[in-house]
Amino acid sequence: MNDRNLVRGLFILAISLAFGLLSLRYPIGEFSQAGPGLFPLMVSSLLFLLGLITVVRSRFIEHVHLEFNFKHIAIILGSLCSFALISEHVNMIAGIACMVFVASFAGTASYSVIRNLKVAAGLIAVALAFQKLLGFNLPLY
Amino acid sequence: MDVLHNLALGFEVALTWQNLLFCAIGCTVGTLVGLLPGLGPLATISILLPLTYSIPTSGALIMLAGIYYGAQYGDSVSAITMKIPHASSIVACIDGYQLTLKGKTGLALFTAGVSSFIGGTVAIIVLSLFAPMLGEVAFLFGPADYCALMLVGFVCVSFVTTGSLLNGMAMCLIGVLLGQIGTDVNSGLQRFTMDMPFLADGVGLVSIALGCFGIAEITKNLDNKDERTPFNGKIKLMPTWPEFKRIIPSALRGSAVGSFLGILPGGGPVIAQFAAYAIDKKVSKYKHEIGQGAIEGVAGQAAADEAAARTSFIPLMSIGIPENAVMALMMAAFIIKGIQPGPNMIAGHPDLFWGLVASMWVGNVFLITLNVPLVRYWLSVFKIPYSVLFPSILFFCCIGTFSVNNNLDDIFITAVFGFIGYIFLRLDLDAAPLMLGFILGPMLEENFRRAMLLSRGSFTTFLTRPISGALLGLIAVFIVWQVAAFFLQSRKPDIVPLEPIPQTK
Repeated sequence: MNDRNLVRGLFILAISLAFGLLSLRYPIGEFSQAGPGLFPLMVSSLLFLLGLITVVRSRFIEHVHLEFNFKHIAIILGSLCSFALISEHVNMIAGIACMVFVASFAGTASYSVIRNLKVAAGLIAVALAFQKLLGFNLPLY
Repeated sequence: MDVLHNLALGFEVALTWQNLLFCAIGCTVGTLVGLLPGLGPLATISILLPLTYSIPTSGALIMLAGIYYGAQYGDSVSAITMKIPHASSIVACIDGYQLTLKGKTGLALFTAGVSSFIGGTVAIIVLSLFAPMLGEVAFLFGPADYCALMLVGFVCVSFVTTGSLLNGMAMCLIGVLLGQIGTDVNSGLQRFTMDMPFLADGVGLVSIALGCFGIAEITKNLDNKDERTPFNGKIKLMPTWPEFKRIIPSALRGSAVGSFLGILPGGGPVIAQFAAYAIDKKVSKYKHEIGQGAIEGVAGQAAADEAAARTSFIPLMSIGIPENAVMALMMAAFIIKGIQPGPNMIAGHPDLFWGLVASMWVGNVFLITLNVPLVRYWLSVFKIPYSVLFPSILFFCCIGTFSVNNNLDDIFITAVFGFIGYIFLRLDLDAAPLMLGFILGPMLEENFRRAMLLSRGSFTTFLTRPISGALLGLIAVFIVWQVAAFFLQSRKPDIVPLEPIPQTK
């Protein structure tokens, strides 16, 4: 199960099934008078075929170990969501600062509050420049 | 002398001070981003796309084009000095880095700069002669031909960017399916929206691009834990006269190869570099030196790179079909600005078209007069630690996503696509074909439906029309060749399989 080629094939199959089964719920029509479901059904069938080939092919070629490191992607996505949530409920300056502090947990260098403060201050300055000079509609404060 | 007249019009547009400024900003930002780890032209254009909303049309397009070729140049600088190609300058690593090892970094950078200038100039001549001509041909295209052309683009891009037709085609099709989300234009039915109102207009292009290229790339760099050592060598830029003489023939060869390969579907900088390098290895007077740090090894590929980057605008502007993922994003930028690229664009917006062409040459002048002499300052970019850099990239991703609709909820969609992009990355699926599929998907469906309507539901229309028949024949030959190659390879298990071409972004 830990073979990258096999997982890739299964992943493609999953996507094609998701879109293909959903498109069956829309009117298919005929080729001369296509309904909204026809084209997605065709494309997802083709994708299903490609997924099958990938799965079959993975049995014949060398297995590649699949690495998956959840830590960094989780921190990065967390920082994005915290930016959106705090910008919505407090303001965007707090959102930017929060994003920098959350994101730097993923950094390789040692965690430094002072560096984070400097980065956050720099980015807030850029955001202010965007708002004042380029006329962006940013809810900074 | 229509061309000269048109070019004069173009320079009139490109040389206004606002447009000069946008061109300079584009080149500078592009070079900067090209130097930075993990951000190719695709990510940069998608981050900055929303920021161009408030800029006038011609300025915005000039800036985006500047970012594109500026990034190509910046990429070659980091390839020559540190052997780190981020996006497209894989070939520059070979001889360029060898020259650095010999202590001739300045010579390599100068050669790359001058050759890029030559390549760009040749490409602009090709562009201004051929784009209007190809535009005439485009009027012969029917819906079936457009479908076939897009399929050829999918196949070529899949193969060139990922090295694997199977993975690349799968990504194209996933892109097409993602493009189906939203309201169907023909019936008004909402497809795949799962009754979520914010999906009724479809998934935002910027969210997908930033998720798959920005967020996923940052995470990849964090996972790799690369610490980069900045370049500290001396740089002596000016070459001697005999060295300079060696640049010219090789650069001209590269320009010709690059201009031609740039026009073909799926073509673009990467394949042009490899071809130019291979040709120099065959025909150059100094071919015995190539591979060990020859000027020709840098000049030819740099010229081809730059030439192909420009001529790849030709299919977009004259037929209206982008041929690679970067051009697909440029097309999105055109459409956001209310301009439909295609045969009517040159006639309908001559100032825009010729202005863009002229600005490419102006951008070239900027690159050679500003960026080449200042290259040692540019290299100080590498002294910025990644722990400072990646929060800044995240910040631009957030601001970019937000300012499309002034909607904070879009950031959550970007986060979702960041996660999907990360899965793609770990499964070794390149997201560039997905981008092309996503942008061309709706066009493909519309043309397919139209072709089927015209032929009353018969698929023979794709085979009997000469243009689409020929294009589909090409695809068939290509697929048969791929399948045969796979079976031949699996019969001889002792042969090491070819390394896939490194990712292009």
